[in-house]
Amino acid sequence: MKGLMGKIAGGALAALIAIGGGAPAAHAAGKTLYLFNWQDYIGKGLIKKFEAYCGCNVVQTYYDSNSELDAKLRAGGDSQYDVVVPSSYYIPQLVQQGLIRKLDKSKLPNFKNLLPRFQNVSYDPHDTHVVPYQWGTIVIGYNKDKIKNPPESWAALFDPKYNASYPFSMMKGSGRDLIGAACAYLGEGFACKTKAAWIKAAKLIEKQVKRPNFSGFVDGDPTMQQLKKGVVAIGMTWSGSVAQCYADKTCLNIGWILPKEGSEAWVDNMAIPTHAPNPELAYKFINFILGAKEGAELSNFNMYPSPNAASEPYLDKAIKQPLVTPTAAQMKRLSFLPALTPAQAKEFGAIWTAVRQH
Amino acid sequence: MAISMGKSTRRSLLAMSLPVYLLLYAPLLLIAIFSFAPPPLAKGQTFYWYADLLHSPEVIAAFRRSLTLAIGSSILGTALGTLMGFGLYRYRDRNATGIASALPSLIIYTPIIMPSLVFGISELIFFSFIHSATGFLAAGLLTMGIAHVTFEAPFVALVVFARLSGLDPNMFEASHDLYADARQSFLHLTVPVIRPAIIGGFLLAFTLSIDDFTISFFTAGPGSTTLPIYIYSAVARKGVSPDINALATLMIATVIGTGLLQYMFTRNRARKLVARPGD
Amino acid sequence: MSATTADARRGSAARAERLGRALRLWVTAGPGLTWIVLFLVLPSAILLGIGFFTSGSYGGPELPLTLQPLREVAGYSILGWSSGNITVLVRSLIQAMSAGVLTVLFAYPVVFYIVTRPPAARPLLLLFIVLPSWTNQVVRTYAWMELLGPESALSHLVQSLGLLQPHLGLFPGVLAMQIGLTYNYLPYMVVPLYAAAEKLDWALVEAGRDLYASGPRLFWNTVFPQTLPGLLSGIILVVIPAFGDYVVPTLLGGGKSMMIGSLIASQFLETPNWPYGAALTIFMLVFTCAGLLAFRVLSKRLGGAEESMM
Repeated sequence: MKGLMGKIAGGALAALIAIGGGAPAAHAAGKTLYLFNWQDYIGKGLIKKFEAYCGCNVVQTYYDSNSELDAKLRAGGDSQYDVVVPSSYYIPQLVQQGLIRKLDKSKLPNFKNLLPRFQNVSYDPHDTHVVPYQWGTIVIGYNKDKIKNPPESWAALFDPKYNASYPFSMMKGSGRDLIGAACAYLGEGFACKTKAAWIKAAKLIEKQVKRPNFSGFVDGDPTMQQLKKGVVAIGMTWSGSVAQCYADKTCLNIGWILPKEGSEAWVDNMAIPTHAPNPELAYKFINFILGAKEGAELSNFNMYPSPNAASEPYLDKAIKQPLVTPTAAQMKRLSFLPALTPAQAKEFGAIWTAVRQH
Repeated sequence: MAISMGKSTRRSLLAMSLPVYLLLYAPLLLIAIFSFAPPPLAKGQTFYWYADLLHSPEVIAAFRRSLTLAIGSSILGTALGTLMGFGLYRYRDRNATGIASALPSLIIYTPIIMPSLVFGISELIFFSFIHSATGFLAAGLLTMGIAHVTFEAPFVALVVFARLSGLDPNMFEASHDLYADARQSFLHLTVPVIRPAIIGGFLLAFTLSIDDFTISFFTAGPGSTTLPIYIYSAVARKGVSPDINALATLMIATVIGTGLLQYMFTRNRARKLVARPGD
Repeated sequence: MSATTADARRGSAARAERLGRALRLWVTAGPGLTWIVLFLVLPSAILLGIGFFTSGSYGGPELPLTLQPLREVAGYSILGWSSGNITVLVRSLIQAMSAGVLTVLFAYPVVFYIVTRPPAARPLLLLFIVLPSWTNQVVRTYAWMELLGPESALSHLVQSLGLLQPHLGLFPGVLAMQIGLTYNYLPYMVVPLYAAAEKLDWALVEAGRDLYASGPRLFWNTVFPQTLPGLLSGIILVVIPAFGDYVVPTLLGGGKSMMIGSLIASQFLETPNWPYGAALTIFMLVFTCAGLLAFRVLSKRLGGAEESMM
């Protein structure tokens, strides 16, 4: 391998190393905040504002479900991420496993901006561990050209009568949302808590899996993408995902349903993992988001209602639409998922695993 | 040896082979075509998505990480692998039976036959146990590097072993007769002779590392996305999009370019060797 | 000097030499071997061990030791017995073996086409087959997501042939996975088959022709047996990795039709249930090792063991 070939190989290798190693590392200078978040949940503009404010760099990685967040935190993520965004019903589980730390409220002066009903919440008494981020609902998204006149009910998804041949998907992740939906359809209420109810729901889901047009278990955000691309015609997704694509006009043929049997209202919260590499930056970030204008900018981007009272005057009109901020009548149909005790979690896990093997 | 074959056989072979070639390249071609789709914003700019790539810090960071990981792990993997290949060739007691003598070979073959998924998941839980017990080895480039070295070393060992097997065994006797000790033999006789195998092994290790997805995916941490992981995450969450197509097209073009270059160089060298006498 | 003392001296010299060799073996190969044991053998053993623990509240392994995860692999769960798991295992086997068969069907014509070209053209033709396998597996697979979606031309074609329900796509689904696996692993069948075909003894074919055999019979009796070693290598290189593949079922199966690879991964990445995932891994490894053992036995029967480290 001497001679010309060797020289060229050596030169190419050297060039590659130069490109790879010598590129200006803007990230090396200053500190880095590792944010682990759901997709499309914070605008690039807001991130840049925070980077300017703290003189730091933000590296964002994404997950699609609470169980994915849990799995990553347990596999060592609790010492690699600075800020994570779990849903309310998962918080007690994370606290029990020692994955998120107690918050020092003195470092969060903007905490007082929150609406009263988002302070001292039931899933985190005295707000020891988390701070509310956004809240929203689960809706059924469907393609209006393919599924005509669906009922305002989970039957649109679960009853073959309304969709005999177009591909449909069901929600993946921790399973709480899908089992809840099945419970609601069966009349057990979305926030069903008993083993018997879960088993009934699981059997219904198993029947759905056997339908020929079942396209798979898909998380909320990817479902929206699949709806846009025509891979599925109907599925479960987040209210804000639908509102976002209405706002940027990329899915004018997608409709949404808030089923009358009941659906989920969830609250996502910011938390700091126990061994976060940069907790000071994390506190800065959380306090930043709690600011009046910043909270509004956050909501105006991701199209979810804000828990921040001080942000109210700065919210876009679009936030007031019923898809994003449910009306009082709709709120009656919505349930918050309860947290599970360890014993219940074990039972639920066994049922969900069984549902997923097919 | 002349292969006599009827014209119809020849033609039917061609007819059956051509679709295979086309099918092999059709998806790759489609990716390339869809990378040129004009974006909704700037009309008519066919290279928009390629320019976008260069401005994306995530893509550049992923590329740098892939490179760093590959070079670093290949160096260590080649070193360990060369020593293993040499050691097993030179010092194994071929007459001995039993598990003790077969053990080194078994150990070397384990990373090769183990499915990548099992490999990756084993590393995932192993490192997470170590991390929760000691606080070291958080998932990241280091854990990925360790995993990469583990699957590269055996391949290098095989390449070196194969090269050594083709040599004259009396070589070592000869150097012993000339009073060279083990270290001198190794440095001044073995290494120069197997140098092509070492370089070949290094390139093989490098390629394996750059291309790896499954094992990297399970050992990666928040800041250690490599190029294949980046593409996978984008595609799994959002589906296919033009910017990913642009990135993929660049990767495909690099592979095809490298392959053709390598082919032309080896052909040139062979031609030069053959052409020499008559000139 | 008596015979026995000389023998004794020779014996101890031989022993010393053996010891010296063993020492040098462990000095050279030692670091690498230790590395592999520490970073692969040990972690794999831990993983397999977890398959005998109970699944804790949040999916982690907990005492007591139990056979429950293995029972779950067989299909028994809190909902009673369901065929879902067995379906996944069988599906993985079928997908892998079909990929093997399909790649063989595609590879033979190509190999014999190349082998009948002038020697100068052969490396280039072979290179073109191999090049796609040098691209990243993720890239090779995701291309089919676009090509096989419900609104794609290919899906419409298959729908009109009646092989697919209307409005559904080939992707996500079993057919998409099959196409993905075959596409990914075709080069791995071509290369060993080509290596065998190049060494073909055409005199035997001529002899067969002299005996008035022709066409398929000629191929089957004179050509095919000679390619068997290459065919076997190819099958191993295709079927075993295809069985345990992760990327293809995850991207193209779409969470509807799982293979054992995606099923195992979801036990660690999504709904954590480590013991169950570990038990599935035990199964996968058992199948893989059985396949490799079968390969060794078969290839020994066919003869032709090369110098190898084994």
